[in-house]
Amino acid sequence: MRIRIQESALGWTALVVTLFFACPVRAQQAQQAPPQTQQADSSSSDEGMKSGDYNVRQSIEFGYRDSSIDGNINNYDTFENLGSGFRLFDYTLDMRSLDNKGFFFDSLSFSNFGYGGDPNDVTRLRIEKNKWYDFRAMFRRDKNFWNYNLLTNPLNPSSSVPALSITSSPHSMDLVRRMQDYDLTLLPESRLRFRLGYSRTVNEGPGFTTLDSGTEPLLAENFRYTTNAYRLGVDYRFLPKTTISFDELLSYFKQDSTVADQNFPFVLSNGTPADLGIIFNTKGNTPCASPVTNATTTPPTANGNCNGFLSYSRVGRPRGSFPTERLGFQSSYFKNLEMSGSFGYSSDSNSTLDFNEVANSWTSRTAGRGGTVAGPANAKRVSINADWAGDYRVTDRLHIVDEFRYDNWRIPSMWATANTNLFATPPAAPGQAGLLLPIAQVNPANFATVCPVAPYNGPNCPQHVSGSLPDVLNELVSRFLGQNLKTNTIEVQYEITPRIDAHIGYVYTDRTISDFSATFDTGEIYFPGGATGNAGNDFLAARGDCALVAGALPAACTMNPDGSILEGSRTAPAPEVGNDTSRNLTDIHENALLFGALARPTDTFRIGADFMFGYNDNSFTRISPRQIQSYKVHATYTPKQWATIVGAIDIHENRDNVLTVNNLEHGRTYSFDTTLAPSSRLWVDFGYSYMDISIQTDICFAEPGSTVFTTPCPVAGATGPLGALSFYTNTDHFAYGHMMWKPVKRVTAALGYSGTIARGNTLFLNALQPTGPLDFNYLKPSASLTIDVYRGLSYKTAWNYYGYNDHGVANPIGLAPLPLQDFNGNNITFSVRYLF
Amino acid sequence: MRRATAFDVMRFFLGLTVILLFVLAQPQQTPARAGPHGAAVQEKSASSKPEAKPSDYAGAEACKTCHEDEYKSWENSPHWKTTLNTKEGPSHQGCEACHGAAASHVADPSDTSKLFLFEKASAKDINQRCLVCHASGTQHMQAINSLHAKNDVSCTSCHSPHHAKQAEFLLVKSQPELCYSCHLQQKAQFAMPFHHRVNEGLLQCSDCHNPHGTAGPHQLRTSAAQDAVCYKCHADKQGPFVFEHEVVKVEGCESCHNPHGSPNPHLMKLSNVNLLCLQCHTTSFANAPGAPSFHNQAAQFQACTLCHTQIHGSNFDKDFFK
Repeated sequence: MRIRIQESALGWTALVVTLFFACPVRAQQAQQAPPQTQQADSSSSDEGMKSGDYNVRQSIEFGYRDSSIDGNINNYDTFENLGSGFRLFDYTLDMRSLDNKGFFFDSLSFSNFGYGGDPNDVTRLRIEKNKWYDFRAMFRRDKNFWNYNLLTNPLNPSSSVPALSITSSPHSMDLVRRMQDYDLTLLPESRLRFRLGYSRTVNEGPGFTTLDSGTEPLLAENFRYTTNAYRLGVDYRFLPKTTISFDELLSYFKQDSTVADQNFPFVLSNGTPADLGIIFNTKGNTPCASPVTNATTTPPTANGNCNGFLSYSRVGRPRGSFPTERLGFQSSYFKNLEMSGSFGYSSDSNSTLDFNEVANSWTSRTAGRGGTVAGPANAKRVSINADWAGDYRVTDRLHIVDEFRYDNWRIPSMWATANTNLFATPPAAPGQAGLLLPIAQVNPANFATVCPVAPYNGPNCPQHVSGSLPDVLNELVSRFLGQNLKTNTIEVQYEITPRIDAHIGYVYTDRTISDFSATFDTGEIYFPGGATGNAGNDFLAARGDCALVAGALPAACTMNPDGSILEGSRTAPAPEVGNDTSRNLTDIHENALLFGALARPTDTFRIGADFMFGYNDNSFTRISPRQIQSYKVHATYTPKQWATIVGAIDIHENRDNVLTVNNLEHGRTYSFDTTLAPSSRLWVDFGYSYMDISIQTDICFAEPGSTVFTTPCPVAGATGPLGALSFYTNTDHFAYGHMMWKPVKRVTAALGYSGTIARGNTLFLNALQPTGPLDFNYLKPSASLTIDVYRGLSYKTAWNYYGYNDHGVANPIGLAPLPLQDFNGNNITFSVRYLF
Repeated sequence: MRRATAFDVMRFFLGLTVILLFVLAQPQQTPARAGPHGAAVQEKSASSKPEAKPSDYAGAEACKTCHEDEYKSWENSPHWKTTLNTKEGPSHQGCEACHGAAASHVADPSDTSKLFLFEKASAKDINQRCLVCHASGTQHMQAINSLHAKNDVSCTSCHSPHHAKQAEFLLVKSQPELCYSCHLQQKAQFAMPFHHRVNEGLLQCSDCHNPHGTAGPHQLRTSAAQDAVCYKCHADKQGPFVFEHEVVKVEGCESCHNPHGSPNPHLMKLSNVNLLCLQCHTTSFANAPGAPSFHNQAAQFQACTLCHTQIHGSNFDKDFFK
């Protein structure tokens, strides 16, 4: 992955100096800049220049950013990723026809920012010719570097020998996402209007992933996901105040990814590079009790009998198509009735014809020595949906609004898998084991020749254990998932007085969710062979699905003349044990009461409240709510034209508090914001938000030998023997304040601060888990100064500080130490802005 | 005989509502000299103004005499193109297309009886005024469902034809500051360490939400097939998959993620992924199998997605390993 160069650069002395020459940088801190500085005011005094028949206005801001970061660079790049270098911070071009009779266009708007190395680059273009066309284009590039090591970290114990600390995320990635959107509207103001559109999104980059197979190898992944979407639409105003629309949307998705093991930090005793994975918990026998036999070699010599990989590769190219037809309308043809609605049909498909996985590995649990997986997969998604909404104005003060939505989708899918599980031959030399063993080269056609006689332990015979997987596995997997949803909201809105409105409504939703899963063996072959084989277990061929029941093979299994056992065939597929062939239906009926009111007691004060109380008679998951309560209050006070105070309360409560689930959730937010702009020379904005989140649910889990958790799981048939109340609480304080001041006409100074302080607690099932995101301060002060040097020319400098400080337990006792999550950094930007 | 279900009752009331609405509703009469697509009628119902005649219109040049600044800003805005609408008469053109007939006001500046005064109009009336022309636009087709409109937020709360800070869409502020003016909670969420790149300018609130209304909840946009808007960028999570993680499709991304921002990685709702998973996979409850008994939470099994890497859905592994 990327190595970041740390620049110490100018240091604090330079920082103090540059504080006086600082300015806002739009792409970097849009949220901190006062609005006056963010965008060109379309009514600004800058008149542009006349060029031919057009008025042309341009602005450009470019400069250099110096980035000096200390601490956890991976976290800084994950959160901010603003580096050093020359940047185009902003470029805009606006052209407007003076007489609105331009030859090709009447207006053109072109804007850009972020080019030169910033993680987010955006270009927007709009060209318009009155009555003829309206063209919009947008290009966005997002470089998403992600390496936060507390997620998917196996938390290796320090007591492991060796102790391996996982300092980078096993799922880190350096993703680049490029998004293009083009939309053309022809005859935009006519009764018949045509729309054409195209979007392309490409996600690509290297990354890491992991695989479960005895151990967890760190795999390098090169991925590229591409979506091409085409849109064709027409709008027709066929009646006064009534428009119908038809859209044909075609979207195509393709995924090209390759995954390979390129991480071989060990060698076997024969010199072969080996990967023992990233989980090192030798007391827990992962990857084995003694992974390293000789630590003095370079690289260290691994125990061949450990779970590990000698090679691994996986390719697959899923292809998806998503054609959709949509018919919509909007009408206020009737005097008292406004309506809108749409109907859509989509038939999506996702196919993978060339999936191929090859592993050369050793898994001690199954005595597997690698394998291959292939087979075509196909899933469809058929979706039919419709919506209708009507607003009937009974009187000028009384409205009845009804909204109905129907959404029906189903996903039938199938995978014809063809797996080969490989096994080792008996040791060719004393002490040869695991990864050092040769792979038995047997298949259904040659087994009788290569391994001809009982007990099938000849030098080339596959060596199984009772838990070994079938040698050949051909299956047909058939799945189904679908949902039928109908929901209706009816609401009465009444204007009690010109200053008070109220509404009351009722929402009813009916959902039926259906799922089905079945697997059929179309040729599962168990070869005999293995040290523990004997005639009583058919020399280990009678295992897995074909394990003997009361001394006899299951009905679906038959013994072949070569000693192998076959289950199922293409012509007589055998249902897999444990198939859930019944169609499971989950019916949920949801009811909710809505009501709210809006009041404007004075021209300067406005307050609104919305409440919802919902009850569902069933839940799809344990955390899907059966009871919902929502309370929202929002108030705005504008004592002066230049002063605005906004306050908001947002409380949401979810409950699925049935026996043995006990799920309670709430999110409560209290916020205020004050904006003061007493003159064009002074602008102040400050605010605060307090968020309180709490989630609790009864859980059951396994933790053998735990002295902390001893309460048995209260639910009969639970898979985890222990029970506990899982809880998560999080309180966040978000405060900010920004000020813009123009002490003299040519100088603009800005100061800003925003900070998030998070505190929380949760249930830790694993004593090695750091508190991580439960306790941190994330502070981002900033300062800037702009000096108007000459007409249209400004010199600008900005300083932004980023301080992420973990206040929790970063390295619990017993954890192979992780790097601290903290980082502190200064970004100083020097730029020039020119308006012309 | 089958017992009527709650849905049958709902359908009955829905049908009744639709029929009632059609019976009660009367075709909107479009007078020969109506405003833009019937503006005069809207004007009457919206602000109880008398219907205007052609002679009541003064033309934009007359307005310019006193309101030069407003005229200049309007002249540079997309609304200028209303002057090109010569077919439908003066009520469709210039200042008076929005502000109403101004001849009497020109004659007597104190007479505003026929004007539509935005600063004094209610949010509903303002919205209705703007939608006379804009209702048929693709962004406004679902305006009836607008939560903004229901909460007294008018078009001019966000758009300013004369004093826009952002030329495109004539916004009073650029996004996201415009949205943060009211949505203070979301401002705090986007300031979290893990957040969608809205403050950075890569994404805009309107990429995911249609501020003018949609048929679904939270004014969320959807994919063409009415699937979650998230899949536009996160296309690899869309599927359809052979092995769906059912909750993703049925309950949505928000079952596990806070979409705006979170203190937790991958915008997760909880800090420890094992607790997130165990909430559902704790017992063999309905649609979620319990975690196997060998998943010792004191060991590496606390990192569920270390193994279940394709947790959003897989074509090749029922356990989402690959």
